[in-house]
Amino acid sequence: MGITLRAFIRKELVQTLRDTRRRVLLFGAPVIQLTIFGLALSTEIKNIRLAVFSRPDDAMFLRLAERFYASGWFVPAVRGPGDDPMELIASGGADAALIAPAEGLRRSAERGSGKMQLLVDASNASKARAVEAYSKSVISEAALREYGTPLRTPVRFDVRVLYNPAMRSSLYLVPGVMGMLVCLITIILTAMSLAREREVGTFETIVSAPLSDLEVLLGKTVPYVILGLLDAALVVGAGYMIFGVPVRGPLWQLALASMVFVVATVAIGTFVSTVSRNQQQAMLGGFIFLFPAMLMSGIMYPVENMPGAMIAAAYLDPLMYFVRLLRNIMLKGGDPGVFWTDVGAMALMALASAGLAYRRFRRTLN
Amino acid sequence: MTSFSPHRAFAVARKEVMHILRDPFTLALALGLPVMLVTFFGYAIDFEVKDIRLAVYDRDGGPAARRLKEIFSASGYFRPVEPEAAAGPIGMLDSGRASAALFLEPGFSRTIKGGGEAPAQFVLDGSDNSKAAAVAGYLPGIAGAARLRLSGPGGGEPFYAETRFLYNHELNSRWFTVPGLSAIIIGLLAILLTALTVAREWENGSMELLLSTPVRPLEIMAGKLAPYGVLVLAGVVFVYLSSRLVFGVPFEGGHLLYLAACVLFITAALSQGLLISVLARQQQVAMQFALITGLLPSMLLSGFIFPVESMPRFFRALTMLLAPRWFMAAVRGITLKGADLSELSEPFLALGLLAAGMLALALKKFKTDLEP
Repeated sequence: MGITLRAFIRKELVQTLRDTRRRVLLFGAPVIQLTIFGLALSTEIKNIRLAVFSRPDDAMFLRLAERFYASGWFVPAVRGPGDDPMELIASGGADAALIAPAEGLRRSAERGSGKMQLLVDASNASKARAVEAYSKSVISEAALREYGTPLRTPVRFDVRVLYNPAMRSSLYLVPGVMGMLVCLITIILTAMSLAREREVGTFETIVSAPLSDLEVLLGKTVPYVILGLLDAALVVGAGYMIFGVPVRGPLWQLALASMVFVVATVAIGTFVSTVSRNQQQAMLGGFIFLFPAMLMSGIMYPVENMPGAMIAAAYLDPLMYFVRLLRNIMLKGGDPGVFWTDVGAMALMALASAGLAYRRFRRTLN
Repeated sequence: MTSFSPHRAFAVARKEVMHILRDPFTLALALGLPVMLVTFFGYAIDFEVKDIRLAVYDRDGGPAARRLKEIFSASGYFRPVEPEAAAGPIGMLDSGRASAALFLEPGFSRTIKGGGEAPAQFVLDGSDNSKAAAVAGYLPGIAGAARLRLSGPGGGEPFYAETRFLYNHELNSRWFTVPGLSAIIIGLLAILLTALTVAREWENGSMELLLSTPVRPLEIMAGKLAPYGVLVLAGVVFVYLSSRLVFGVPFEGGHLLYLAACVLFITAALSQGLLISVLARQQQVAMQFALITGLLPSMLLSGFIFPVESMPRFFRALTMLLAPRWFMAAVRGITLKGADLSELSEPFLALGLLAAGMLALALKKFKTDLEP
């Protein structure tokens, strides 16, 4: 590496980090975001407000209601004495309502029917699905207790959850959020900083300096690779200290994967900057790439859920590989087969986008 | 000179519109984002977990084991995959070739035939919670189906609940994501785009130029924000049209109420964008501010995907201060539930207060920064 290039990189880093606000945004914000999302977001549905409707003397049903509230998933909905279940749900006062049979649960069950009604607010479909599943398990548990004789269940599943036995959402969200934050920062900042030079007109000054095209490109991009890696390390450290997210695989795997990923995203950011004339375009262009990348990455829902064509497209998404790798390395201990295929795929993407960015960059220079 | 002149504000707005139109690429990008989001959420994203790759290790080989496998694949949630002898179950989960594994020990079918309860071990990949939680939720259903099919009648439960899903009988994921996208689009375009446009005037120094003209700060603000308000509203209309026409999402409530909710939220978002630009003065800093305080809360803390009620108490309280959360509640209430203003008084009151507060704050900061 030439002295000029090194000086150039140093100048870029100093420029980016000179401003206190920028330092805070670059290094403080990711940690704060990780903390908020790790603490606040949960894939588990909790605090479901359930209203129960029965005759006041329906003892078996009231015991069932107690079981619902004791399960940890349900809380009693606040309701007035004259409320109608449908209206209560329509006004948002309850998420679900359980209605006892008119004759009382015990009599109904002994007559061979035992049918209650469960009304679920399905305006959030995934939540509604969880509400139904939880209700069913509380009800069959209650039936077992009330009627003593164990149900004739031919198959009993012993469920063991690997890698995350307590099913803590943070263990699974932190790697995802980390991938997302690193991707966001590197792509948009790289794209905007290069577009800024063009917008303000300082680009000509750089070009007239005694540097080759490649040196200019490296000088402008290497600082962002460094910043992206620092952010990645920061987020992993914060995830470990705040949420106890383990790194079960070797650290070098984590470092190498992050390195390859950051190079790929910085190259994509550079490419975006070469097709935009100002910072607004660079930002919007960055989002045009980022949104699909985030949505196809498997951070929020499994990749396999998407239709076939989208799954195929997801294989072109570096973030998908990175998030999959992070979860594999951090939670599963880093399977070598997965590691090398995914790092290889990301490296190919990094090379391709870097090559493309370099060609476009040279064209815009001349 | 101190009074607000609609004429001068209009002139600023016209200048801004010309700015926008002169740069069609930016406009195309700004309008392309809503199209892309709607396409994704409408076609690609399904929160129902399906096609879970299940490796079945059947060391029993009897009829009951075969039938249990059929029950798994007939549920639509599981796709049995051939177990690989070389990798072993843990290896398959480690590499992600399977998401779950089922073990049926020898004697499984015999136990069931004899009327007993046969254990089956089920191992789940917990590194992906959204999947693991859903799979664990499916198992009681599978056990119930097994009860009916493997041990014949007489195994029914003494009591059960019949579920009715209100407002979205078929639990179509699109019905709740696509209408909710208007919040994301407002969060993205109104906050980010405004923050950047105004920050650009500061960065280039053209704000000082504008100030030296007879236009009052309030007029500059109104003139600069109005065109973006219209642009964002166009994005919302697009979401509305595509959700109704393309995806058949019902719209049960009043259109005026919906418009009112949009206008309130857009006002809050535009004011927030302006406030950010005054504080940041540089486009890159403004972008990051807007991202952290605008887009990410709209996406993650509004209840768009992750329900607010499942958050810890502190964060539930925090979301009370976020306009997107109230907007989301209003939109879901209006579109799917057909709620009227009396049922939505709380979200509307909160939205109104937050919009007014944000506007006042932006105005004050903008004016004090401009007038020495």
